[in-house]
Amino acid sequence: MEPLTSPVKAVHPEGAVYGTVLDAEVALRFSTLDAEYEAIRERAALLDLSGERIVELSGGAAVDFAQKVLARDVEYLTAERCMTSLVLAEDGTVVDQVVVWGREDSLLLESSTGAGTRLLEHLRAHAEPGVEITDRTAEYALFGLEGPYAWGVVGRLIDGELASLPFESIVDSQWDGVDVLFGRTGVTGEYGYKVLVPRESAERLWTKALEHAVPAGQDAVELAMLEVRQPVVRHEAGEGVDVLEMGAGWLVDITKDEFVGRDAVVAAFEGTAERRTVGFSGGAEVPAPGTPVTVGGEKIGEVVHAVHSIGLKSSLGLLRLPPDLAAAGLTVTVGDTEVVTLTSPYVTPKSWSTPII
Amino acid sequence: MTLDELRATAAARHETCTQIKKMIVSRLDLPIEPAWITDDQPLFGRGLELDSLDVLELYVAIEAEFGVALYDSDMSVFGSVSRLADHVNPALAEQAQTGSA
Repeated sequence: MEPLTSPVKAVHPEGAVYGTVLDAEVALRFSTLDAEYEAIRERAALLDLSGERIVELSGGAAVDFAQKVLARDVEYLTAERCMTSLVLAEDGTVVDQVVVWGREDSLLLESSTGAGTRLLEHLRAHAEPGVEITDRTAEYALFGLEGPYAWGVVGRLIDGELASLPFESIVDSQWDGVDVLFGRTGVTGEYGYKVLVPRESAERLWTKALEHAVPAGQDAVELAMLEVRQPVVRHEAGEGVDVLEMGAGWLVDITKDEFVGRDAVVAAFEGTAERRTVGFSGGAEVPAPGTPVTVGGEKIGEVVHAVHSIGLKSSLGLLRLPPDLAAAGLTVTVGDTEVVTLTSPYVTPKSWSTPII
Repeated sequence: MTLDELRATAAARHETCTQIKKMIVSRLDLPIEPAWITDDQPLFGRGLELDSLDVLELYVAIEAEFGVALYDSDMSVFGSVSRLADHVNPALAEQAQTGSA
């Protein structure tokens, strides 16, 4: 399968820096990480989500199939709602984290960045009669808006009424005579929206949106996600790591009777987890994944993923520790540096105290 | 601080978090086991998907259970179970700010 590239790359700001995330080439930065982060946390940022595949499930058995492959319950997901769910392998490990968009006669699955090929392969491996699995990525572009004033951009760009939609609502709308699918769903803790636009109109919408919002690349978005403990699967899931160890049990509906990976998840819920994930901050050096966590020289765990947090002005990351030590408020040593474990969210989004007016 | 002292500190937080999870499940009549909720799980929007009516119920429940009135607090109090624990048990918040050492 061809790697994804942005359909609006030609109109990205000059000087954008690109990188490869799994099967997608994405803009890591359009300007500077500081400026883009500041837009997400203080104003409004525009995201090019072209690294996320759009997969349609259609046919008479589409909902039953979705119930089988999604870890959350979508039986009553209407055409006005979307939700986030994990997709699991039989052994309970995470294949992807998707946003499921309800449609009248189908469901759209939005993969996480770069994970679309893996998702498609997994879906096709579990395919059943009566369901069609279609990659619609080439027909659309997906853009996001995130920030405490993203609602204002929605008003100026499309329709002010859409800004105050309830969380995880979606609406068929129009922009400049073009049919678009609009959703209120975000990942940074700030007000978040997404627009799925036909590819032929994507450049025009992106260019217009740039008049109102600062483009933010993958680095700034993933930093803001980590700060509110929004999972980034490719950093957090690993060999033999189950959803509880990852801290993503909330993206699984264990009360659902059946789904791929359920037996493993139930075993994990009923068993004794060997490790849990907890956030930490401290020190200027960003520790690499796998860096040992010690107390009094004794190894108790390791670093899962870490970055430099602009909001906290220090390193910020996740540790995997024994369950009886996975708690906020502990001082432990990472490499040679003392760090403190944290309560989530690690940065309080400004949107939580900014009303939509 | 020794490993045992850290375990004791962690246990204190886990105890308060467990109390909060039981309270949430019981007061809001959620069809899940309290232990299924993780300490870092968001409570509103994504996560446990509670809404503003649930907040009102939780204000009352928290005051009854912990003797703490949070009515004038901002929404960040409900950022996660662990964050809520900081507010209903101030000793935990002090540890979270300074580390346990």
